[in-house]
Amino acid sequence: MPPFDKVPPQNKPFKQRKSLATRKQEVAGIRSKFPNKIPVIIERYEREKFLPPLDKTKFLVPHELTMTQFVTIIRNRMALLPTQAFYLLINKSGLTSMSLTMAQVYKDHQDEDGFLYMTYASQEMFGH
Amino acid sequence: MNSVSPSAAQYIGGVMQEELVESRRQQPMERQSSFGLRPPQTQDLSKEAPGEPDEMDKLKAKLMSAWNNVKYGWTVKSKTSFNKISPVTVLGHSYLLNSEDEVERFRLAFVSRIWLTYRREFPQLEGSTWTTDCGWGCMLRSGQMLLAQGLLVHLMPRDWTWPDAQQLTDVDFEVFRPRSPVRAGGVPIPSFGSPRGPNTPEKSLPNDQGPKCSQKKRSECVRDRQAEPIHYKLVTWFGDQPPAPFGVHQLVDIGKSSGKKAGDWYGPSIVAHILRKAVAKTSMVHNLAVYVAQDCTVYKEDVVRLCDVSLNKTPPDPSSQAWKSVIILVPVRLGGEALNPSYIECVKNILKLECCIGIIGGKPKHSLFFIGFQDEQLLYLDPHYCQAVVDVTQVNFSLESFHCSSPKKMPFNRMDPSCTIGFYAKNKKDFESLCSAVSVALSSSKEKYPIFTFVEGQGQDYGLEGHSSNHSGPAAHILPPGQRSRSNDRRNSDEFVFL
Repeated sequence: MPPFDKVPPQNKPFKQRKSLATRKQEVAGIRSKFPNKIPVIIERYEREKFLPPLDKTKFLVPHELTMTQFVTIIRNRMALLPTQAFYLLINKSGLTSMSLTMAQVYKDHQDEDGFLYMTYASQEMFGH
Repeated sequence: MNSVSPSAAQYIGGVMQEELVESRRQQPMERQSSFGLRPPQTQDLSKEAPGEPDEMDKLKAKLMSAWNNVKYGWTVKSKTSFNKISPVTVLGHSYLLNSEDEVERFRLAFVSRIWLTYRREFPQLEGSTWTTDCGWGCMLRSGQMLLAQGLLVHLMPRDWTWPDAQQLTDVDFEVFRPRSPVRAGGVPIPSFGSPRGPNTPEKSLPNDQGPKCSQKKRSECVRDRQAEPIHYKLVTWFGDQPPAPFGVHQLVDIGKSSGKKAGDWYGPSIVAHILRKAVAKTSMVHNLAVYVAQDCTVYKEDVVRLCDVSLNKTPPDPSSQAWKSVIILVPVRLGGEALNPSYIECVKNILKLECCIGIIGGKPKHSLFFIGFQDEQLLYLDPHYCQAVVDVTQVNFSLESFHCSSPKKMPFNRMDPSCTIGFYAKNKKDFESLCSAVSVALSSSKEKYPIFTFVEGQGQDYGLEGHSSNHSGPAAHILPPGQRSRSNDRRNSDEFVFL
């Protein structure tokens, strides 16, 4: 596994690229323009080795979209096979129920800056 | 833990020496298999370095496998302690180890599980030079153990135990520890002749039964003994020979369609799918299907369609009562880098369920088959022990190396978050009660949302099928990876994507 010490700045986590004030401003701006959309940040788990990187990190998602639909969209974006492991972790640690709507997840887990943070990962491999 | 890091080896010189002799002894065997009987497929191997006969790679592989055989060929005998205050749970049964009888029940429950470990000197895996899975096949072995447990429940009498189960080794039970500190360390093995402790309640069981049957009714002993031929047959299915339906040869072969090959590391989700395909492929096991959940969701209607034989008939025959038994496998990820501690309670509650057939996972990079827990420690079977291959085609081959006599524990907080949870339902009614029992166990999580969910209907009702069959082209307005043509500059990738 290559060392991850030297991360190019554009690959740094979103939170580290921008200050809290900037992020808050960004959310306020987008929420005023699109009040019925939820701002979501999706990033690859830093040690992920199998799933491809996403070309975008910021998504505006309708309230009523379910997690199942959302996961399906992201899976398609990465052209994954249905049998490939793919997990969205909220705030890097918890799974969500697939039947929940984005509005419900947002209500419970939005960050202080107003974004909802999700990390995607597959599964680890075992060998010795 | 059974395996030891190379650096630890030097401290236990004597054992090491012995094993080196053993690994030297097996070398002629390996040489013969990798150079003498070269399979026609070997050219596949050299794909990455065209034109180069990769003798170096072969040598490397041979050295690696020789080293792994040494590394996993021996164990450090460390004792596992069990207290008498908290019950030990083994796949839905709990044992409070405060009496000899309970220790005996625990012994039978533990040793009767089928244990599958690394093996060496088996027939070469097709398309490779591997004749051992030491050092790479542990997740496949864990998967085999999970399937074997499912098959035990499927085929053997209820609460079957192995009449010839060995005595436990390397264990320390509080109940057998003498009060005086003179004999510290405890008595490792319960002996049946020893007098009962003063706290042990007298049991009303008749005393005239043989020692092996002391905890079971005589009728059950007879029944378990009669089931031995099935037990044997079940183990042969996991033999390390190409025709065995669930042997490492077959599983590696099936894994090729998921892009895996011999020598690769496997994950709990890939192995779940390999097991599903292996069961679907074989004609040996009747009346059993395997369902693998996707995206942490069990679609009940999909399970019904898999199990209800009448639905699969053309034309459908609603009068038919036939229902296949089912193994439900749920691959999950219980955290990012480490296990999210709020899921521990839920994992415990799952292992307390009788329908649970175990969890394949492990410590990071090191696969284990979890079958229970005591307090904050998981109880497991460890595949990291390299044993010589057993020819299961021989009549009355020895079953001893397929059962483990030393239970091991590890703390929950070292559990890798990637795992696959297994369940079994014999019939339709079982499946219904499985759904409700598991749902209750899942709701015990301190995390707001359960690890996975049961949902009415089929996956396609939720727009899964339509999307997943469409993986060749992404949905409109969404760019696939690698085709960022015009969106490559920073400003663009910082824009929001509208869904």
